Amino acid sequence: MSQFLDPTLEVSTPKQSGHKRTESSYSTSYSVLDIYETESPISARSPTTTNNELGDEIMRGLDELEFKDLSNDNTLFASNGSETEINSNSNLNLNLNLNSNSYIEERIEYITPINNITNIKTILSSPYDMYGFKKKSNLSSITPEHYNQWFEQYSQYLLERKQKWLSLMRTNGLNLPNDSTIPTRFPPKSAKVKKLIRKGIPPEWRGNAWFYYAGGYEKLSKHNGLYKEIATNGVKNKDSDVIERDLDRTFPDNKYFKSNDNNEPKMIQSLRRVLTAFAHYKPQIGYCQSLNFLAGLLLLFMNEERSFWMLVILTERIIPNVHSHNLEGVHTDQGVLMLCIKEYINQLWPILGKSFDGQLIAEDKILSNLPPIALVTSPWFMSLFVGVLPIESTLRIWDILWYQGSKTIFRIGLTLFKMSSETNEFQELTSTNSSQNDQVELYQFMQSYPKSLLDPNEVLGNCFKKIGGYGYGSLSQAEIDTCREFVSKQREKLNNKKKNTSIAVTDEERQTLLLGQDVHDVYGFHRSIMILQIK
Amino acid sequence: MSQPQVDSISNGKSSQSISNSSSNNNTNNNSNNDKINILRKYKIVFLGDQSVGKTSLITRFMYDTFDETYAATIGIDFLSKTMYLDDNKTTIRLQLWDTAGQERFRSLIPSYIRDSHVAVICYDITNKKSFNNLDKWIKDVKLERGDDVIIVLVGNKSDLSNDKRQVTIEDVEKLHRSIGSKFYIETSTKANHNVKLLFKKIAQSLPEFEHQQNQQSQDASNNPETIDISIDNNPPVANTSCC
Repeated sequence: MSQFLDPTLEVSTPKQSGHKRTESSYSTSYSVLDIYETESPISARSPTTTNNELGDEIMRGLDELEFKDLSNDNTLFASNGSETEINSNSNLNLNLNLNSNSYIEERIEYITPINNITNIKTILSSPYDMYGFKKKSNLSSITPEHYNQWFEQYSQYLLERKQKWLSLMRTNGLNLPNDSTIPTRFPPKSAKVKKLIRKGIPPEWRGNAWFYYAGGYEKLSKHNGLYKEIATNGVKNKDSDVIERDLDRTFPDNKYFKSNDNNEPKMIQSLRRVLTAFAHYKPQIGYCQSLNFLAGLLLLFMNEERSFWMLVILTERIIPNVHSHNLEGVHTDQGVLMLCIKEYINQLWPILGKSFDGQLIAEDKILSNLPPIALVTSPWFMSLFVGVLPIESTLRIWDILWYQGSKTIFRIGLTLFKMSSETNEFQELTSTNSSQNDQVELYQFMQSYPKSLLDPNEVLGNCFKKIGGYGYGSLSQAEIDTCREFVSKQREKLNNKKKNTSIAVTDEERQTLLLGQDVHDVYGFHRSIMILQIK
Repeated sequence: MSQPQVDSISNGKSSQSISNSSSNNNTNNNSNNDKINILRKYKIVFLGDQSVGKTSLITRFMYDTFDETYAATIGIDFLSKTMYLDDNKTTIRLQLWDTAGQERFRSLIPSYIRDSHVAVICYDITNKKSFNNLDKWIKDVKLERGDDVIIVLVGNKSDLSNDKRQVTIEDVEKLHRSIGSKFYIETSTKANHNVKLLFKKIAQSLPEFEHQQNQQSQDASNNPETIDISIDNNPPVANTSCC
């Protein structure tokens, strides 16, 4: 542990991350965090430390946030850097409240680390995977036998990747006391790190790595203590009822989310608090179905407070408006995805761009009248592939998503379309002289096909590999941003047009409106950025 | 199970024409095509509030299984199943659209209602609010489809009828009359009560089959109010009594 206290080892601000941290807040945060957060998974599994942590946290006054006090360690939310001072006024009441009505979170490590043969054998003989999900899913045809067959290989891959990460950490002066230590800080963004991220973060490191690269520490230090305040006071709000209905319906296949006896699992309690706090903090979103999946998956990898801030980061920066009351972001992002398909998998557009009646939707009407394939893709944005792909594939996408942002969703989206189009089933369902040709059955296939993609390396290889891949890794964030802005403006025009007409719109009028010719302009991609496919 | 008419739709379990997994539906259909040149397909959209049991209803019908909890549906899930009608000659394919129940998802909905033949609008008999919200769902459907759609009202969770019921038969009967739905029914996916009957009646309600069905079982179609919706603790036998 001692090397973490050495001020000479402070990491520099990652230049490419886009996080607006100041050097000083950054270093202070990290010194503080490392003390608490350098956790060994084994000790973290025993609940003995957690109560003390909370006790200390409650007792701790704001003044004690000096470095020397923190060396006492065991602060549950220790990420208070120098920015604490800025917020100190608003935080004064906070600690008082905590004494009376604080929630208690016992942080349990849920992930079985794949460090050695014993753990691998444990997983192979268990009905559950390393995250507590049943290997046999109701959603797909994957059996435990399939799973084990894959996992025997994949666990070796995980061991290899872990060594690569350990070596990366060493090269960056981030030595870990031992191989089972979970690091809290990571090397600054670089081509090398990106490459490792794309090949997968060690499962037990995920929570910390996601949080680090997504700018979680920055959020946390800006809003020190806020989560506790909300979680303590905002236990019930207008969304409580709808939240309550979804708690048990989040991961019924995961053992941590399922109560065995009459006791409610800790996980469900945490999920309730995070979702309620989020609904309170973001009233413009409140609770939206699918947030339960996002929060639930985050909670498997990090504590409540961090999960909360990751949801905030996600809904503010990565997929804005996707969960808002009118789901406008879903419409926008799907419009972008449709334009991407049209641009980059053009040969599929005549198939995917059809409406139910089999007619191709005219170019200038795509955004006002999204093709029904969008019904398949809406969970890609709302749940970020949770439930769309098998869990390990989803997590591998999340590894990249938190590091690289929203373009990842579009890159993967294109990959899924392209991969599915290469299957026999797809050919059958879309061939004009096939009796199987049917739009709805195609949507059904597009929905079920990704569920069979057990091996993440297949999906990510197709997406990113320079040789033999589809080349969608070159779809840039700038391109997505520009396109999003375009689509969003076009939709605004459309909505204004609707509003300006009389309130009572007849079916016919609405139809005319939706199909209005002059509603939007045509968006042009920067084709040059993309490696064009030769087909 | 002893009722032949119900068997004629449920025997799909042993028939290769039934798709047990949505991914293998192609191969399954081939056998049908030998028998029937055009397989008629019908789109059936399931609507209703969050957690009333739409997914559960569909899962019970598709796979004859039940879990206490299903993951919340986000957006829309497509499933389909081939059914034999009573005469054992006619085969139809039902394309079932399972939808998210939360209010805000309705902004995604019009496009999928627009193309549906049947709207199965569900509520939870133990949740009055889910019943009160039926009006909104019905309005949405009528706005998109006018009267050109078959509306079916389904009250789920009838196994909880004794101690938790908040919606009476009279309530739904009244609504049924006022909106002119095709029929209403109470189901329990947990007790497997009336689920097969629901789908059988849906199939029989399809315009192409209605006259045929009228001849065969007058009761069910012409007098929907008389459907046996009483709760029986031995539902597998009792649930077909009205046919």
